[in-house]
Amino acid sequence: MKKIGKFLSSMPFAITLLVLLAAACAFSSTVSQGQAYEYYAAQYGERTAGLILALHLDDAFHSWWFIGLSVFLCLNLLCCNLIRLPGLLKRVRTFAKPDGTTASNATAEAEGTGDPHRLFAALHMPSVRESENGQLYATGNRAGFWGAWVCHLGILLLILGFALGQITMKQYTVYALPGQTKGMDDSGLQVTVDDLQILRAESGAVQQYTAELTVLDPVNHTEEKGTTGVNAPANLYGYKFFQNSVGWGADVRVLKNGQELQKEGLCVGEFFAISDKPELVIYFPAFYPDYSGEPKQSDPSLPVKDPAYLYQVYYQGQILGMNVLKAGEELTIDEYTVLFENPRNYTLLAVKRDVFTWLVLLGGLVTLAGLVMAFWLQPRAVCAVKEGENWHVFGRCQKGGVLFREEFLKAAAETGFTPCKSSDIEGDDA
Amino acid sequence: MLQAENTLFTIVVIGYFILTALNFAFVILKKDALAKVAFGIQTGIFLLHTAALVLRGIGAGHWPMTNQYEFATSFAWALCLVSLVFIRKYRFPVLGAFSSPLILLMIGYAAMQSREVKELMPSLRSSWLAFHVSTAIIAYGSFGVAFVLSLIFLFRGRIKGEGFWGQHIPQPEKLDMISYRSVCLGMLFLTLTILTGAIWAEQAWGSYWSWDPKETWSLVTWIIYAIYLHLRIRRGWRGKAAAWFAVIGFICVIFTYIGVNTFLPGIHSYA
Ligand code: HEM
Repeated sequence: MKKIGKFLSSMPFAITLLVLLAAACAFSSTVSQGQAYEYYAAQYGERTAGLILALHLDDAFHSWWFIGLSVFLCLNLLCCNLIRLPGLLKRVRTFAKPDGTTASNATAEAEGTGDPHRLFAALHMPSVRESENGQLYATGNRAGFWGAWVCHLGILLLILGFALGQITMKQYTVYALPGQTKGMDDSGLQVTVDDLQILRAESGAVQQYTAELTVLDPVNHTEEKGTTGVNAPANLYGYKFFQNSVGWGADVRVLKNGQELQKEGLCVGEFFAISDKPELVIYFPAFYPDYSGEPKQSDPSLPVKDPAYLYQVYYQGQILGMNVLKAGEELTIDEYTVLFENPRNYTLLAVKRDVFTWLVLLGGLVTLAGLVMAFWLQPRAVCAVKEGENWHVFGRCQKGGVLFREEFLKAAAETGFTPCKSSDIEGDDA
Repeated sequence: MLQAENTLFTIVVIGYFILTALNFAFVILKKDALAKVAFGIQTGIFLLHTAALVLRGIGAGHWPMTNQYEFATSFAWALCLVSLVFIRKYRFPVLGAFSSPLILLMIGYAAMQSREVKELMPSLRSSWLAFHVSTAIIAYGSFGVAFVLSLIFLFRGRIKGEGFWGQHIPQPEKLDMISYRSVCLGMLFLTLTILTGAIWAEQAWGSYWSWDPKETWSLVTWIIYAIYLHLRIRRGWRGKAAAWFAVIGFICVIFTYIGVNTFLPGIHSYA
């Protein structure tokens, strides 16, 4: 058991895991994610496609092996932090004691008749203590001992928050033309897009999409209203509504023998069936806001100049025809007349409830704090011992030995001390 | 405004060219005075470069780091800044000789990009953008300097005796420590970049992490430098092995920056 704990918390295991994780991420990024078998077969051939699916490389970041690696990393971090905690506490305590630093474990030492208080000041260590035997002593940056520990804790919180979020998160995609109401799957809520405003710069480029929403709870007969824009989500019923993207849509009218039969809003990519002849279906694959312009684009951010609607007609699942209708043009199928009008943008909303996002953010901030502590708070201790007429001064830095030694010896020289010997420059941080 | 930026940019490119030539002269002629001049010139170009970026920002009407050109020139600017700081702080003029070709390459890459100013798409209109890209260029600049320092470290191993190189390049322990300091700076800023990017993505798209290739590669880079940090802690691995990881890390940085846009699709494809 102890052996397993030791292995799980060991640094070689940590490095192996990190290398494997980096390699897994790098490799997976080269394989297009979330595609069907046919896509991979066309790209790489059937055998490789089979392998990709068997190894879950099509959804690598949710695969058993990726999650497994991450779980091991967490175990590794947890064991490492737990096992090292008592030793760390002891080290911090020892470091604070005057006899924790001796001439033999010092990073640099000097002697002379200078004033040790000036040396402490030059090293920015103002709070000097005096021990019972007259030794002067100061420590600095002791919080730095905790840097790696705090950083590891932050990473653990971050991964935990991410994992809990992935498991418990509710996510929906809703797209609707202004005026349309759509259901939000199993949430029981309904979303109405009351309005979609597009703010343009003078050049015509879109600066902001703003959608006015009403979310309805049909069971409790309550509603909440809000506005969502890009980079400014709305918060309604505990869900966040993100203005994710926009696309084209239009109203489609169907007349039967000249009498209006049906009128609906239809987004590009949608089908609709004629109400009294459901085997007759109209598909709306694309909309061109400026059909006479070159090249013909269906970009949803372009202003409407010369609208044209691409349609396909299906009868009992068989395609009957496909063509483009310009504004005012009609499509006639037997007694039915179909016309498209009032082209406008629909909004695509990403709706999300993830109650663990704060944990991820906290983890990130703790990691950041840990990094600052580990890198910029390097624990240091400096002692001065009276030996006859001379002061023997020595200092220890937990890390960054070479740089500390230089700094110490420079300060010592400036305050009337001369270096003793070439000091051990290895920090004892292994 | 943009016209002035254009002219200033050209002067800056020529400046970096002269700087590199001067640094070559310094290491070939082995004259310390040249290093002093080079440092002065680098400081001057840095100020001009800063002015060019400010003009670009005013002329374009947005934070000047939003397309490939702006990011490349900012990357060169950050390399210049971090190397200036390290040359001065550690009194290490040879670092300038090794870093100036890298800056020249980056500004050369910037010069090849389109300088057209485009309106920002709505998702890029966020105050997080400025934080996200600014922290990224400081991270990249620091990793660039760590890369150069690690190359010097690997090169240092071949030097015997005290000649010019022996005198001008610090002892391996110190060199390793300086390289470590630059990785620390880079790691802090890369963590900030990833965090601010995640916060922004959460606001703009409702997903703080989507395994988009650029995100994934920034994570790969982050992990590589984490490996570097842990290798350094183990005595036997400090030095050469760690230096190699700093080199690999910077290759990842460059791939994240240029390669991902070129070879892999994703939401970051605008920059
Ligand atoms: C992505 C994952 C990790 C990151 C970002 C990370 C980060 C860090 C950092 C920043 C340091 C301080 C290094 C320095 O001061 O130079 C550190 C030290 C350390 N890490 Fe990690 N770490 C990670 C994973 C791990 C794992 C899985 C282990 C498990 C054994 C581990 C064990 C250690 C140890 C033993 C130290 C030395 C601590 C000390 O000097 O007090 N790390 N880590």
